[in-house]
Amino acid sequence: MLFQKNAAPAVCLALVLAFCAAADAQTDPNDAKPFPVFTGTTSYFTRVTGGVVQDSPSMSPLLLYPFGDKWLFEAKGSYSDTFAKNKSNAWEGTMSYGLGYAEIDYLANRYLTVTAGRFTTPFGIYGERYAPIWVRALQTGPLISSLARGSSNGGMLRGGFSVNPEIDFNYAVYFSAAVTNHVVTSDRTSGGRFGVFFPQERLELGASFQKSFQQEHSRAEGVHAVWQPNAIPLSLRSEYQWSEWRGSGFWVEGAYRLSQIPHGRPIEVVGRGQKFYASRLKPAALTKFGIANMKDTQQADVGLNYYLPNDVRVSGSYGRQFGINKDTHLWTVGLTYRFVMPAFPGGGTR
Amino acid sequence: MKTKFAIVTLFLTLTMGAVVSAAPKSGARKDTPPAAKPGADNSTVQDTRLEGELRFRANCGRCHAAPRKFPPRLMATVVRHMRVRATLTDEDTRLILSYMTE
Repeated sequence: MLFQKNAAPAVCLALVLAFCAAADAQTDPNDAKPFPVFTGTTSYFTRVTGGVVQDSPSMSPLLLYPFGDKWLFEAKGSYSDTFAKNKSNAWEGTMSYGLGYAEIDYLANRYLTVTAGRFTTPFGIYGERYAPIWVRALQTGPLISSLARGSSNGGMLRGGFSVNPEIDFNYAVYFSAAVTNHVVTSDRTSGGRFGVFFPQERLELGASFQKSFQQEHSRAEGVHAVWQPNAIPLSLRSEYQWSEWRGSGFWVEGAYRLSQIPHGRPIEVVGRGQKFYASRLKPAALTKFGIANMKDTQQADVGLNYYLPNDVRVSGSYGRQFGINKDTHLWTVGLTYRFVMPAFPGGGTR
Repeated sequence: MKTKFAIVTLFLTLTMGAVVSAAPKSGARKDTPPAAKPGADNSTVQDTRLEGELRFRANCGRCHAAPRKFPPRLMATVVRHMRVRATLTDEDTRLILSYMTE
């Protein structure tokens, strides 16, 4: 048994190295030598949740540091402050910060990228693709976001390649160690995500899985779909996730760019419907492992985004959350700005 | 639990159906043109530009609005980052970078 435990990582490493050696070498796609980039998002949003007003400035800086033809170091932090009036009618702020990811990527070949460090957990699509503030169409996140940890610390293998001219395949598999430091917290888990993309139809279908190796040793699974019809500027995306201990749910979102009407191109209309099914396990069992005992909830949101020049966007949305005991109105209005610049002076110019 | 199995089964069926329906080669995506080099003739440059734009819209447009174009060395870094994050294929990466730096 001891031999098997020790041999498993070595066998995996040998397989990876053999795979790397067998495949074609990855070459840089352009003659331009990559230069370190400092990018990120700043935002300021006002939220009214059930009559409670909150103001929230935030910033997410991202450093991209390429070296050689095959390496990339990338680190993203997050900082936000939430101000709200207390019972004495005085403003109080709650600060939060964290490290979204700090990873080293090695582009081994056209099929494989090896990642080590802290990375966004490849479970579902929202966390990796739609969570950045300048990307998300609605500022309120899906209710099922709590089913899997946002970031992991460990190693990951991922990549995407064409199976044939009509099908692309993408994958990500990972393992993560448990870390309790609040800035880089993670669980001891393993899992992955697979996706099939049909470029002509602009349709992607995929599935995710995750297994926890700590506390309750639970499983989680999910499926996702993204479709952009060729005929109209509409983007449809949806996810369903199920967790053995934390509940399940789904969301369906549509974003329509009004580029077919005069002067409508900068405007995007968004709608999302979602439902969360609480865990059917007994509250005492959940409490034993520190899992929040949530309620069944439905939510519907509509929003409008206006894209200004230079990566500035004005957003507003209204939503209504239907809980077991009460309904809540959710308003958001705010501004996002994404910046991109050379990380150091003297580089990155034409 | 039944709902979960129904959704997963429906999803797998749809995936299998989509894969099978996409398998025939008729109307397949055109062979990828090579990235245009300086001095290449106009038709090659045009093909590469068109294919790059298609790949850009299909891949990048799945998640976000079109970003501004940046200087080539910055764009090379951003596209490398997106290759990892969005699991772009090697071919898509090359064509998108070519399109975004032209």
